[in-house]
Amino acid sequence: MTLEAYLLVGAALFSLGLIGALSHRNLIALLIGIELMMNAASLNLMAFNRFVVTDPTTGQIFVLIIIGLAAAEVAIFLSIILRIYRAYHDIDAEKLTKLSG
Amino acid sequence: MDTLSLILLTTISPLACFIIAIIFLVQQPRAAQGLVLFGSAISLLSAIGLLVQGPVEPLRFLWFQSGAIQLQFGFILDGASLMFGVVVAFITACIMLYSVGYMAHDPGKTRYFALLSFFAWSMLSFVYAVDLLQSFIFWELVGLSSFFLIGFWFEKPEAAGAARKAFLMTRVGDVGLFIGILLILQLVSNFDIPSLLDPQTGLSTQVSPGILNAITLLIFIGIMGKSAQFPLHTWLPDAMEGPTPVSALLHSATMVAAGVFLMIRLHPLFMAAQDTALIVLSIATFTAILASTIAMVDTDIKKVLAYSSISQLGFMLMALAAGSLFAGVFHLITHAVFKALLFLCSGIYIHAYHTNSMAEIGRSGGRRLKATTLGLIIGGAALSGVPPLAGFWSKEEIFAQLGHNGFNIYMAGAFLAAFLTAYYTFRMIFLITKPDQAPASDHSHPEPLNMKAPVLILTLGAIVLGFFGSNIAQGLGLIPQHHSVILMISAVGVVILGILIAYFDYGRDNAPRTGFISKIAPLDTLFTNKWYIDDIYRVTIVAITHALSRILHWIENHVLDGNYDRFGLGILRTGAKSTRVQGGWMQLYLGWAIILLAVVALYLGLQ
Amino acid sequence: MLEQAVIYTFVALVLIGGGLAAFSRQILYAIIGLGISLLGLAGLFLNLGSPFVAAMQVLIYIGGITVAIVFAMMLSIAMSIRPPNPDARKLGFAIACAVIFFGAVAHLIRGAQFQQIASPASEKAWSVGALGHALLTHYNVVFEALSLVLLLAIIGAILIARKA
Repeated sequence: MTLEAYLLVGAALFSLGLIGALSHRNLIALLIGIELMMNAASLNLMAFNRFVVTDPTTGQIFVLIIIGLAAAEVAIFLSIILRIYRAYHDIDAEKLTKLSG
Repeated sequence: MDTLSLILLTTISPLACFIIAIIFLVQQPRAAQGLVLFGSAISLLSAIGLLVQGPVEPLRFLWFQSGAIQLQFGFILDGASLMFGVVVAFITACIMLYSVGYMAHDPGKTRYFALLSFFAWSMLSFVYAVDLLQSFIFWELVGLSSFFLIGFWFEKPEAAGAARKAFLMTRVGDVGLFIGILLILQLVSNFDIPSLLDPQTGLSTQVSPGILNAITLLIFIGIMGKSAQFPLHTWLPDAMEGPTPVSALLHSATMVAAGVFLMIRLHPLFMAAQDTALIVLSIATFTAILASTIAMVDTDIKKVLAYSSISQLGFMLMALAAGSLFAGVFHLITHAVFKALLFLCSGIYIHAYHTNSMAEIGRSGGRRLKATTLGLIIGGAALSGVPPLAGFWSKEEIFAQLGHNGFNIYMAGAFLAAFLTAYYTFRMIFLITKPDQAPASDHSHPEPLNMKAPVLILTLGAIVLGFFGSNIAQGLGLIPQHHSVILMISAVGVVILGILIAYFDYGRDNAPRTGFISKIAPLDTLFTNKWYIDDIYRVTIVAITHALSRILHWIENHVLDGNYDRFGLGILRTGAKSTRVQGGWMQLYLGWAIILLAVVALYLGLQ
Repeated sequence: MLEQAVIYTFVALVLIGGGLAAFSRQILYAIIGLGISLLGLAGLFLNLGSPFVAAMQVLIYIGGITVAIVFAMMLSIAMSIRPPNPDARKLGFAIACAVIFFGAVAHLIRGAQFQQIASPASEKAWSVGALGHALLTHYNVVFEALSLVLLLAIIGAILIARKA
């Protein structure tokens, strides 16, 4: 497979993640969509690492860092979901409109 | 101490007191009062120290530089500013001491004393300013602080109105002054007063006489507003709405003196501009007569004193315009002392009898206040020019100068004004000391010591100050004119004539108690109505302004407003619609962000 | 030939899993879809020459994050049992956004000219040893910063989720 093919797969995965993040009302589904988008970025980085970059450690380290950050992000996100659930007994993104005035 | 620290002490200590008092001592009026008095004393002592040191080179500090234009901040320390600085500091200190008694029960005492201190700071800084722009800044601050003090009892509508009137009328003049200053900047790119006045390289050698006349005339418009000369004089009598010590300060050493002092400062320029000098001379003479005639018929003691101030300011400007710097400075200083004295006396009367009418004060037993009445008589005599009191000597100088330079018409005007001055002053004195009916039972307050002391000090000043004329001339580096005996005799004659007529009208037993002027009905009406000047303003300027604003109002309502309304409502509706975008639905935000990103991507791809 | 088939299988896994994750109304299916997608991605990483990152992907993502999401789902059960009715307008908006985005990026990819290297770098450079060396020398600051972020995330998560 060529570089362009990988990039297109990445873009498709990102778009799917975007649909997940935009269409669902469940906060957990939103999180899943965001994860998909992040992984699409990882895929792009790995592809560039393989086809463009002369020093192949760079892209891998990028992806490792993304994985690490995703772990941190998920931890925070999940604790926020728990907190919201405790406050509202619901995790519906559309009901969290207290700030809209 | 060196000069710099002395001058800083003189000018900064009132400012420091103002700031401390107004920020920290609102709840402790006694502490504020003490602090301000202390600051004033420091200021006075340093000013005296400067005077003792004698004139030195101006101190200049670069403020900022823009191209070839240098703006400086500094202090000019020549004879005029050193002497007048002491007078300002001295009179301010006297009036502050007096105010301790006068304002004892006022709830806004801290504000009052802080503002007095602020006033002193502005005026002292103005007197010592070396740069024309610096002068202008403090000139405006003097106007601002008078606004605050005239409107001190702002809950009274008259006081608020008077403050506004004073501010606006002087502002009319200030526009002229500012244009004049800007003209100077444009022509010579220099604001430094000493170098502007230099006879070899100064302004008068660099511009044509016509331009010089225009500049000085514009500056004179500013002076006209500040020193209450016709036709911008009507604010001054109204300014009596402020507390009496404020009037005393305003009329003697600060506000109105600022105008005269500016003319003293720029005297060489006015001397180089012949036409302006003549215009100033005419206006000043006319103002001196006009104000005296109004003072002849007014019954309110403060109003009489106010009009007499206007008239005396006319005398000073006459002297300056006729070419005598010394006579102007001398009369400014003596007038500051005896006018402050007269106002302080009137303040004691008003404080004691709660009336402004001279006849009422007399009937209530005004002459029982011994020290005050002594001050009133001495101050009044000094104002009239009775020898050998202060006013006599300084007025004498003015007459001598007018005679020396052959301004005969103006001298006649000056004699007329001097005659009227003597008349209305002694009318005031007789009305108070020889009431038409015996005073009722005595229920007046005694004079408190802290009000009596400044009066006595100033009385002493009014007696002795006249003998220091030659010292003042020396301080200015001038030699006084030789006095002609005939002129002196005729001046004294005019004064005595005025006093005699006043005695005949008001002073002798079973006097008619109406002025001789009431026999000439049209003039009496004219004077009583203050020459209709306020009314003329009402039917001309105010009416025109009203008509203009009505037209503009119509245009606004029918032409502009409708469209603006439509415009505004359109925006309102758009806004109401667009708030839905901000509905708190974060996925929508995210979607739009991504779309925007896509647009950027497309744009990049198209390149 | 076989290799090609394997790669395309992985791509299919990625896209099918992603589709499942994006369109499923049942949250559990979405999580399974996510897992499938991540597994396919790990295969692609392997194919791109990085067994270590592929292993990490499986370990952390599938083994850690996905399981954590399942826990979260179980702790906030209400919505996960009875998913709300789908909102056609919302879905339409989401798909429109995705299509616009995909179109734009595809256009960009087609137009771009990458300076590709002739052949992949030597095996040695891809080794775990080289990776670890780079991580602890050249990328040391990033590594430390990341560990700090993780620490803060743990503390923050505990603080937020704690019973008030």
